[in-house]
Amino acid sequence: MKSLFQNFRVLVALLVVSGLLGWATGGLQAADAATTNAVASADGHAHGVDGHVHAGGEPDFLAQIGYSYLTAYMFCLSLCMGALFLVFLHHLFDASWSAPVRRVAEQMSAVLFPWMLVLLLPILALQSKIYPWLSIDPATDHSLDVKKILFNRIAFNVLVPALVLSWGLIAHTFRRWSIAQDKDGAAIWTKKSRVLAAVGIFYFAFSLTLGCFYLMKSLQHQFFSTMYGVYYFAGSVWTTLATVWVVVLYFKDRGPLSQVISKRQIQDLGVLFFAFTVFYAYIHFSQYFLIWNAAIPEETFWYVGREQGSWKWVGFTILFGHFFVPFLVLLNQDVKMNPAIMVPMAAWAWLMHYVDMTFNIMPVPHPHGLHVTFWDPLFWAGMVSVLGYFFLKNFRSAAPYPLRDPRLKEAVTHHEVPAPGATVHH
Amino acid sequence: MSASSKPYGLLAEFETPAALMDAAIRCRDAGFTKWDVHSPFPIHGMDDAMGLKKSPVGWFTFAGGVTGFTTGMTMIWFMNKADYPLVVGGKPLFTPLYAFPVSYELTILLGAFATLFGMLFLNRLPRLHHPLLKVERFKRATDDGFFISIESADPKFSAEATRQFLSVDCHANAVETVEE
Repeated sequence: MKSLFQNFRVLVALLVVSGLLGWATGGLQAADAATTNAVASADGHAHGVDGHVHAGGEPDFLAQIGYSYLTAYMFCLSLCMGALFLVFLHHLFDASWSAPVRRVAEQMSAVLFPWMLVLLLPILALQSKIYPWLSIDPATDHSLDVKKILFNRIAFNVLVPALVLSWGLIAHTFRRWSIAQDKDGAAIWTKKSRVLAAVGIFYFAFSLTLGCFYLMKSLQHQFFSTMYGVYYFAGSVWTTLATVWVVVLYFKDRGPLSQVISKRQIQDLGVLFFAFTVFYAYIHFSQYFLIWNAAIPEETFWYVGREQGSWKWVGFTILFGHFFVPFLVLLNQDVKMNPAIMVPMAAWAWLMHYVDMTFNIMPVPHPHGLHVTFWDPLFWAGMVSVLGYFFLKNFRSAAPYPLRDPRLKEAVTHHEVPAPGATVHH
Repeated sequence: MSASSKPYGLLAEFETPAALMDAAIRCRDAGFTKWDVHSPFPIHGMDDAMGLKKSPVGWFTFAGGVTGFTTGMTMIWFMNKADYPLVVGGKPLFTPLYAFPVSYELTILLGAFATLFGMLFLNRLPRLHHPLLKVERFKRATDDGFFISIESADPKFSAEATRQFLSVDCHANAVETVEE
């Protein structure tokens, strides 16, 4: 606990410094932005892209780094929040099947603090390069003016780190109670977790939506979509379930989970992965369909921009790659337990979720079409590796599954039926 | 009922779910194919104990779903673009977008129908009577009785050997012949 608070103090200092840095760069660019704003509002609809994009449509060096970094960050945040949701889910439903896989999710979500908070620093430092609205005067932009209660620099710099910090604290609380139960086996830890889950799930839903609004949706601050948070959530849990499937199978084969993971856990994770394939499609279709049907310019511009140039094909890739292909592949029951299909499927899910994040973020600096830079894979691989390292470090620091969870016995008692030909003894 | 009629098969009663499970494993390993287990409630692991394979009912569901989806798409295309072109809300005459919710609902509807009727078809249901229902003790299958029935149509069935197998090897409490 003590070291946690020491880390915390350093973090707060770092956050303040990056916030100030971001603020300062924002001030430097204010003059530049003011001219662009005038042009944008004369155009009727300011289309998100503004002063940080040069005349040729190419973002400057720092902005490109910022957007590539943000894409990687949103991808990694997905895995953390998805894992946190699985912990919530376990306690909310008082589930037994997921008891042996819960520690994996707990350790995965625990990288939220301090690592996701640390990794947030470059975004805060580059905020003025990434988020066009930060340099726009609300007085000149009606769509920003009506949202300025949330979309102002102070709220952004306070709330975004606060949100990530709060998720980290929730994840750590669940993990701490779970590990405490390893020692004494007391039911109180389960009961406390249940209360935290029941209350926290509301906070989770609202805060995740707010976090998505700030980090991703505000890239085009004119956009409206109340479903945006659940859209990000659906893709996040989808990717996380594929990841947990592979991680759990790996630890089962490698030993730590071999005693507690049976066909049931693998199948249920596969079934949930399939369910979220459908859920994601349902949510994304609903968002698109409502906007398409209503055809209000304040909303349609977001998708119209994403039909320009090769973005159209990225959209189709999401439609088929994120939904139709996984849906048809996963339909069969046996597939959900077959590593030869599920491991490539999980890799595919990672790629598709990254494409989805790219589809949300990259049309802002590259409105004319998909533009992959060297920074994209670099930040993606780098951030995943760093977080993967800390996940493994977390995982080794405690028992690989909740040793004395009251539901564990129920989860691992599977019905051993002798294979045909085996003799039955009395 | 004439004396020459071939019996339907044998019905064996067991004391507990565990005994039933154990007997089911023996029947499975003995290689019977036309047999079944009857209990008042589902017993976890019984599928494996009986050596049951995955039900093919999923294929009915899939066929029903595909039919529903294509029906929805084709219907809306035909009605709104081919047969009677009508512009609604400035939208294209046909696009899979607005045809999707209807096609999706039809996918579920026909998928559900196909599941139900596929299940009934595979179970040869509905039927008005079954020879087992003539057996007095079989009524307990809905209360506290655990049973295994082996049909005489099974290639491995033999009136004497199978009775012996059920009462001695499987430790059945009682074995009785079921008339057709």
